[in-house]
Amino acid sequence: MNSKTAFYILKRILLAILTVWIVITVTFFVMHAVPGGPFMSEKAISPSAQAALEAKYGLDKPLFEQYITYLKDIVTKFDFGPSLKQRGRMVIDVILDGMKTSVKLGIIAAVIAGIFGIVLGAVAALRRNKIVDKIIMVITTAFVSMPSFIMGSLLLVLFAIRLGVLPANGAARGGLVLPIITLSLYPMAYITRLTRSSMLDVLGQDYIRTAKAKGVSGTKIIFGHALKNSLIPVITYFGPMLAYIVTGSLVVERIFAVPGIGRAFVSSMTNRDYPMIMGTTIVLAVLIVVMNLVSDILYKVVDPRINLE
Amino acid sequence: MKKILALLLALIMVLALAACTGNKKTGDSLIKVCLSSEPDTLDPALNSAVDGATLISHLFSGLAKWAQDKSGKLVIVADCAKELVEGVANDDGTVTYTYTLRDGLKWSDGKDVTAKDFEFAWKRAASEELGADYGYMFEVVDGYNEGNLNVKAIDDKTLEVTLYNSVSYWNELLAFPTYFPVREDVVGNESWATDPATYISNGAYTMTGWEHNSVITLEKNPNYVDAKEVLMNKIEFYLSDDENNMVANFKNGTWQLIDGVPTNEMTALKEQYPDEFKVIGQIGTYYVCWNVNEEILPAELGLTGAEAEAAKADIRNAISKMFDRNYIVEEIGKAGQVPASSFVAMGMTNPDGSEFYKTAGHNEGYNGYYNVAKDAVESNFNEAIETLKQYYNWDGSKFTNFPTMTYLYNTSEGHKAIGEYLQAQLAQVGITMNLENQEWNTFLNTRKQGNYSIARNGWLADYNDPICFLDMWTSGSGNNDVQFGKGAHADVACYSIDITDLGYDIKVENGTWAETYDVLIKTIKNCTDNEKRYELMHRAEDLLMSTGCICPLYYYTDIFMIAKTVKGFFANPLGYKYFMYCTIEG
Repeated sequence: MNSKTAFYILKRILLAILTVWIVITVTFFVMHAVPGGPFMSEKAISPSAQAALEAKYGLDKPLFEQYITYLKDIVTKFDFGPSLKQRGRMVIDVILDGMKTSVKLGIIAAVIAGIFGIVLGAVAALRRNKIVDKIIMVITTAFVSMPSFIMGSLLLVLFAIRLGVLPANGAARGGLVLPIITLSLYPMAYITRLTRSSMLDVLGQDYIRTAKAKGVSGTKIIFGHALKNSLIPVITYFGPMLAYIVTGSLVVERIFAVPGIGRAFVSSMTNRDYPMIMGTTIVLAVLIVVMNLVSDILYKVVDPRINLE
Repeated sequence: MKKILALLLALIMVLALAACTGNKKTGDSLIKVCLSSEPDTLDPALNSAVDGATLISHLFSGLAKWAQDKSGKLVIVADCAKELVEGVANDDGTVTYTYTLRDGLKWSDGKDVTAKDFEFAWKRAASEELGADYGYMFEVVDGYNEGNLNVKAIDDKTLEVTLYNSVSYWNELLAFPTYFPVREDVVGNESWATDPATYISNGAYTMTGWEHNSVITLEKNPNYVDAKEVLMNKIEFYLSDDENNMVANFKNGTWQLIDGVPTNEMTALKEQYPDEFKVIGQIGTYYVCWNVNEEILPAELGLTGAEAEAAKADIRNAISKMFDRNYIVEEIGKAGQVPASSFVAMGMTNPDGSEFYKTAGHNEGYNGYYNVAKDAVESNFNEAIETLKQYYNWDGSKFTNFPTMTYLYNTSEGHKAIGEYLQAQLAQVGITMNLENQEWNTFLNTRKQGNYSIARNGWLADYNDPICFLDMWTSGSGNNDVQFGKGAHADVACYSIDITDLGYDIKVENGTWAETYDVLIKTIKNCTDNEKRYELMHRAEDLLMSTGCICPLYYYTDIFMIAKTVKGFFANPLGYKYFMYCTIEG
């Protein structure tokens, strides 16, 4: 790694921190500007009890002071504060609890999508216009155009109710199988199509023809030259895929009752659970920023021709 | 042909296998249920949710509890207390109850349950520092207003509590989760109620597992004094609020009870599962409320003050008659709801056991304040138009100068459908009502502040006494969304009450809301004669309904599905479900 690359990475990291700071600031002030509050309920508590609670959680202080305190706690103590709604639980515990499942779900779905997508894409490209290619293309078109909530519901009805072979509840043993399939089908189909077109492109390049003319074996051409180079677009898809999996899992977690982070994220907003909104937003923002960074750096590693500047 | 046969055989085997997984063994002592998603809290003092109350009722035991007697009727019986004693009246009108605790009461960690635990728990739950939603459940206890409850543990076994006056629903309060005991050293740890290791309880079950957002496991508590009566050994409460997912888990036999079904599947499920699909009454009313300060009169009428208020009441009451409540429950609600003709909900009973709503309104030929029978829809509608003609210009088919209004509801398909129906009814006669929806928390805020003209509303009872539907409308109440006695309405003097016939020296003519309704509620709260008290409550509801600010649409129901194999299950009128006496047969 030369100094230019190192400088680039450092710059990107600083930019990433700036991005997260902006997300924190905007979220903080916007959420406080939204009407309602954490202690609002259909059966009203007395104004004095509400004041006591606000004092307890520091919500009676000026907004800017709350903001500074929050930033200080995050930076110096990595303290996300207590949940205002789930009394007695710390935000970080709720997030870690949910992340355990969500990360597992996301990683397995991403790996499955990656492996199957690349293999199917390569097969389709090599068998171009043959029956295998056509079948793969039809199926992937269907998967790409079907939203996850429809796919999830279909799988639920088929496997959990009609056939009864897999549980409908994400917490049960084997309960993550259906959510993982649901979540991976779209990126898998997308990667298949991406790999296929990029592989076809590469296969038509001069250096492949040269290799063939030199008598290099078919396997070596495919694995040594064609596949590696056709993966560059797939790597750039890495960032958007993660964003898809994170947002897609909000829906999928609901359909299959998976104990992930999705529910905490959504309910924190309706509950005006301020520390929880901040915590979940920060975690998701960091995740996406980091993954985009990794994808950009990988990009450079795979293709040295790319100029990062 | 052989291939087809082989395929068919394979299919049959797969289906047979699938069918096997759904079967339950006879005498299974585990029940799996799903009520809702992760509860916000399982601290008895802080909980205000119905699903949380169900869990807490299995985990804790108060002085009293809900039970089913031999005939299947729901009753309140003593639990930690030896008996539910009668109160002794003091000279100052307060009433003192002295309870003796039963022998052998233990916490799940083996320590003794003492009267001190009750004293501590009650004072904690009522305190402002805790800020519990249900802190006000202690408002009947002497000293509540001064922030120092008059309850004390005389010794380990004796608890003495004094109430401001005798309260007919006191025993029911004792069975309410906010009144359950907690131990000082346990709740000292603020996160005690989030972890099974620190969750020390004294009820029929102990919490042995809590996988957040996934499942809470309760197992029979061997230390519980009535442990031998508890039939179900283990209960798993699955945590999900996705109704489609609940139905999927019910259909494939994983869960034996689910506390919700999607509205669009109700009709199909009712037909498919006639024995499993249950609709029971729930004490609550779905209604529309007006902002009392909203100007709806045409300026040219030139009415002000009390006259204007009387005219507005007339108009609002007329509009309440324009809606077909049968259509709403049959075509939109579809869940067995009952058309409402009064604000105090069905399920509330008079002292003689008759339904409160059936004796409301004092009308000939029908119950309540409107005739909600199907054959009265048309005449109600026509009467309403005749009334409105006195105030607005009628061009033969519609009103031309009715001000445009906005109906506010919280975002939900069901509320929207009802809003659209109300809108369509009014549009028939040229009244424009726009619809506006807001997200729940924002909606609550807007409604409480009174920044609306008409809004969707609903109220569920906390105990079986009509007062919990009536005291929310006093001028100072935090739940007074209509804004009675607030803003301009504070000075409007057009209300009258006369309760001299009940032996009170109270007669007000053309008084303000504070001088009439507030006084009436205060009198009810101080009244010790049950017959009189109920009569006063009927009069309070009469006054409330005369304003036209409340337009009841239907009484709520509770819908759930329960497997046929489950025996011994019951639910109370507040919607709490009881599994401890359940067995699974067949």
